[in-house]
Amino acid sequence: MSPRPARDVLRRDDPLRRAVALLEVDRRRVLLAVLAGTAGLGSAVGLAAVSAWLIARASQMPPVMYLTIAAVSVRALGISRGVLRYVERLVSHDVALRGMATLRVRLYERLAAGDAGALVALRRGDLLARVGADVDSVGDVVVRGLLPVGVAATLGVGSVVLVGAFLPEAGLALALCLLLAGVVAPWWSVRATREAETRSAQARADMAATTLTLLDGAGELAVAGRTGQMLGHLRRADRDLADASDRAARPAAVSAALLPLAIGLAVLAALVLGIPATTAGRLAPVELAVVVLTPLAAFEAVSMLPAAGVQLLRSRQAARRITELLDAAGGEPSPAGGPVPRGGRGQAAGAPGTPEVDERPAADGARDAGPARPGAAAGTLVARGLACGWPGRAPVLRDLDLTVGPGRSVAIVGPSGVGKTTLLLTLAGVLPPVAGEVRAGGDPVHALTRSAAARRVALTTEDAHVFDTTLLENLRVGRGDVTPEEAAATLDAVGLRAWLDALPDGLETVLGADATRVSGGERRRVLLARALLGPAPVLLLDEPTEHVDAGAARVMTGLLDGSLTGGRGVVVVTHRVTGLEAADEVILLDRTGSVRARGRHRDLLGVDPDGVEDSDVRAAYRSAWTAQEQES
Amino acid sequence: MKPLDPRLLHRARAARLYVLLTAGLGILTAALVIAQALLLAAVLAPVVTGTARWDDVAPTVALLAAVVAVRALVSGAQERFAHRSATRATAELREQVVAHAVALGPRWLAREEGVGVATLATRGLDALEPYFVRYLPQLLLAVTVTPGALAVVLGLDWVAAATIAATIPLVPLFMVLIGRLTQGYAERRMTVMARLGHQVLDLLAGLPTLQTLGRERGPAARVRELGDAHRVATMGTLRVAFLSGMVLELLTTLSVALVAVGVGFRLVGGTLDLQTGLAVLVLAPEVYLPLRQVGAHFHASADGVAAAEQAFTLLETPAPGHGTRPAPDLRRTTVVLRDVCVAAPDRDVLAPAHLDLELAPGTTVALAGANGAGKSTAVSVLLGLLPPTDGTVTLVPAGTSEAAEAAEADRPDAPGEPGGPDGGALALADVDPATLWAQVAWVPQRPVLEPGTLRDAVAHGRTVGDEALGRAAQATGLDAVLAGLPQGWDTRIGQGGVGLSLGQRQRVALSRALVADAQLVVLDEPTAHLDADGEAVVLRTLAALAAQGRTVLLVAHRPALLACADTVVTVVAEPRGLDAAPDAPTVSEGVRP
Ligand SMILES: Nc1ncnc2c1ncn2[C@@H]1O[C@H](COP(=O)(O)OP(=O)(O)OP(=O)(O)O)[C@@H](O)[C@H]1O
Ligand SMILES: Nc1ncnc2c1ncn2[C@@H]1O[C@H](COP(=O)(O)OP(=O)(O)OP(=O)(O)O)[C@@H](O)[C@H]1O
Ligand SMILES: [Mg+2]
Ligand SMILES: [Mg+2]
Repeated sequence: MSPRPARDVLRRDDPLRRAVALLEVDRRRVLLAVLAGTAGLGSAVGLAAVSAWLIARASQMPPVMYLTIAAVSVRALGISRGVLRYVERLVSHDVALRGMATLRVRLYERLAAGDAGALVALRRGDLLARVGADVDSVGDVVVRGLLPVGVAATLGVGSVVLVGAFLPEAGLALALCLLLAGVVAPWWSVRATREAETRSAQARADMAATTLTLLDGAGELAVAGRTGQMLGHLRRADRDLADASDRAARPAAVSAALLPLAIGLAVLAALVLGIPATTAGRLAPVELAVVVLTPLAAFEAVSMLPAAGVQLLRSRQAARRITELLDAAGGEPSPAGGPVPRGGRGQAAGAPGTPEVDERPAADGARDAGPARPGAAAGTLVARGLACGWPGRAPVLRDLDLTVGPGRSVAIVGPSGVGKTTLLLTLAGVLPPVAGEVRAGGDPVHALTRSAAARRVALTTEDAHVFDTTLLENLRVGRGDVTPEEAAATLDAVGLRAWLDALPDGLETVLGADATRVSGGERRRVLLARALLGPAPVLLLDEPTEHVDAGAARVMTGLLDGSLTGGRGVVVVTHRVTGLEAADEVILLDRTGSVRARGRHRDLLGVDPDGVEDSDVRAAYRSAWTAQEQES
Repeated sequence: MKPLDPRLLHRARAARLYVLLTAGLGILTAALVIAQALLLAAVLAPVVTGTARWDDVAPTVALLAAVVAVRALVSGAQERFAHRSATRATAELREQVVAHAVALGPRWLAREEGVGVATLATRGLDALEPYFVRYLPQLLLAVTVTPGALAVVLGLDWVAAATIAATIPLVPLFMVLIGRLTQGYAERRMTVMARLGHQVLDLLAGLPTLQTLGRERGPAARVRELGDAHRVATMGTLRVAFLSGMVLELLTTLSVALVAVGVGFRLVGGTLDLQTGLAVLVLAPEVYLPLRQVGAHFHASADGVAAAEQAFTLLETPAPGHGTRPAPDLRRTTVVLRDVCVAAPDRDVLAPAHLDLELAPGTTVALAGANGAGKSTAVSVLLGLLPPTDGTVTLVPAGTSEAAEAAEADRPDAPGEPGGPDGGALALADVDPATLWAQVAWVPQRPVLEPGTLRDAVAHGRTVGDEALGRAAQATGLDAVLAGLPQGWDTRIGQGGVGLSLGQRQRVALSRALVADAQLVVLDEPTAHLDADGEAVVLRTLAALAAQGRTVLLVAHRPALLACADTVVTVVAEPRGLDAAPDAPTVSEGVRP
């Protein structure tokens, strides 16, 4: 085997070891595959030996009876070779494919339990390569890497012993030739690949990323005149790949030449050693045929080793990329193999695109706030002295108090980049508060599991994802048991009735990954419908009426006066003045991230004489809308 | 599924040379294999029968050693060029596939097949490597070594040759049969693999959303399901492929055994001498070896073949044709849309329906209308990214009678048509889109932001000086954002602009368009996500663009934005089939503030 990977694999923190542990391979199946493989190739060696003996013996014209046993065993070995090889290949590939499926699930689970932010630093093509080809490459390590090594080692020893039994020096020569083909040749090819792989890893990532960039932004790139440039990038990445494989080709060619050379040498050595021995009478003439012809078959197992060495190397590099991703996401491994969501065990929820398997007790149970603390007002969200921000950056918002609950709506307005979205993420428990606390249904929201928190307060961000599945399944992302009737009614409420009616497949229409098959405003409204269908008693909505047409005012009013939300508590972030009259409270943030003013819309505008006295505040509030004044 | 598709040779130049080389090496290999067998027999037989000693056979052994050395060289040469041609041929195909998919346009890419292209172009085509490196050489050996060795066996011992000849036709027969059986499987496997790839990617892209909704754990079941579907589809192929391998192997081993036993009995009977017998014994497996190898590498190569097949299907999908005439200078050209309708795929609507629009140089035109009316679609049509289902788009030199010119342009083949920059009207379909796009800057409704630095995002592949970047940033309010970032232009953002607030992302996208310095500026809801200040900056910039004589096409909902247009065109959608002419006027004159 290739020395370097083999040595490194022994280290506990080796990426390949870590990744292979995630394959959860069934050891019995692997053992079965090794046994079948060894026996199968063993039959081939036996076949060669017996038929050589048969012919040589036959030439001595013995009574036919002596030959029949050999003739029968030739046929038996022929059959067992085929059948055993079949079993081995089937079992080992099944092991590999199961491992890949498991690894992909474990990878997903770890990423889901960890910080999804780690994923956005990767280009989509790179991500695709990691969850696709890299996972498969690690899965292949068993079939294409370890199995051939096991089989070749057993068989090599077996054939050496067989030949050595007839003529010890020929056995020794065979052993040397097997080492040449089974150790030196793989070493060369691994060396070749290592060089190529380090060079091509970057090129390969570039190739995948450029391909996806070209496909994802096809229109935009074309108009920007960049299609040709990006195709040039692709060509360059591919040329780098070709160069790398060219560089690897020379040593790989040496390795490829070594195999027939080793076979030939083994035969020649057998001849050179065997013929004098035969002449000297130390070796029976018939045995000479066996000694010379057996090596031809013995090399079949060894011939897989250069590829196996390369596979080990590739798998290891794939494993490194996968573990990097896992480490970046930081999803903690748990002994059971499953992820531990922050704060404890949550409940599984249904997947988009799958028939819903919901473990929650009942639809009614799901609608309430979950097990809220006795005495605490269920369905309320209270923030006290809240400061929020991103890890590693200065806090953006400070000193915010806020209460929402059934029938109470709050609108948050303020300049871009001041931290409104960050606030919503903190209120939802996705980001930990920098200072102060947020309680949902009486409990600190960040300490709840994600699924428990989401049953008390649900956030819809502007860049929320639309999945590549049907409209209905997309609506079910928020709550698994949404019925088609509920879905249709809610779509009607958010102004999508006419659109829905024009869809021949209705709720079963596939929306396309990231909403590529719907218009911007339709996407926004679908996301709103998803939010409204969710089970939480408090809704947090980021810019729900951006991209929405003249109906935006109606939507905003409906959200804030409770007619759309069924009287649930709502926090809305908006840049638009329309519909704000309906809010129970408007909070105006200033550039420094503190609350500049709060109150009802009319008071802040200064329409109501009993409202805000401070004319500075009134001016500030008005200035938030100057450009849009014609809207109100 | 053809073992060697002529389209592959046609599409990939690297493949052609490689096949020639491999064929040459194949013939050489055949000669060497035969020589090795004959020499081996010539050495062994006299020694076994006791008629020769080492000195008698030593020269033959030396010859054998030479043959071994040459075989090693041939193997090395084969390997030397196999990988290289595989990578080259894959690259050639990949580039064609990606370029063609891009040419098929955004709407096609949003479709099911379109989504699968990513996996096809990356992992799918990579499966051609085993096809080139392992399968193809064996295929060529099967047409060189197999007949060559068989011919020699025939010369040595016709009974053995007859035995082999009787079983040989069964091998291709089986292979054809198996090819038929696995064909559907391999194709389905490709489809399942593409689905696995893009759905897992989709789930990962949606992971933040799932986490905010507390539903991130459920889709693990979906990932498991996709993985299982992949396994089942693959095992389906493999079971048949391996079974075929086994049958082939049994067939060949048994016939080799048959030959061996036959030779043995004829040796006993004295009708055959040992040297011939040994030569036949060594050659018989060589006759079958390439065929067996073809069977053994069949499944590994089947993926590559299926991927190539899909690639060819894709390449044969006709892309909307592009014109070749250079676009006229947009500073002196009006873009005219007449009665443009676009049927939304899989929907019973025309969006837009019967749209008329005139975009004269130096004017600002706004498209208004309900969600889903077809505003963004109309922009795609105007940019030549999407051919309209109905109606025409023409480029009319300013100052000519538009209606007459547009009517003329409807007959693009009319002889003697002046056409072109200084002549009359030109249909957009006849124009080389690249020459049009060179004069256009476009901010789509949801611009694509890739991971990288802010500088990368705004420069967008162009080499832009800091000064030009600064100017663009100033025009969108991005300068204020940059002032708050310690790393300024070198700040890194994530996929989709993560790391910035929404308004900041919008400013990045707008700056990217303004850096281009184009005559026609198309902005799809430029003030979305912007606060009052940001909106004011954009409105000022729009006024500045108008003052510079730029042509601006806006998509807008907000009244403030609509107010800065010279003309507001209302886009309407219409149920398909009900071809009622819109009776409300769709054009209303706005007054520039
Ligand atoms: N993922 C992130 N990591 C680090 N910093 C971020 C991240 N997202 C946003 N920020 C920064 O945090 C600050 C607040 O961003 P936030 O998105 O909360 O603003 P906002 O008030 O919602 O603005 P807008 O109105 O433009 O959406 C901004 O300066 C932004 O650059
Ligand atoms: N790839 C597609 N497949 C199917 N239907 C599509 C596709 N792209 C757009 N549509 C449909 O075409 C119609 C017009 O879409 P378009 O994006 O042009 O609307 P719009 O006027 O820009 O709306 P908005 O104001 O919401 O952005 C919509 O009903 C949309 O669902
Ligand atoms: Mg925001
Ligand atoms: Mg649009």
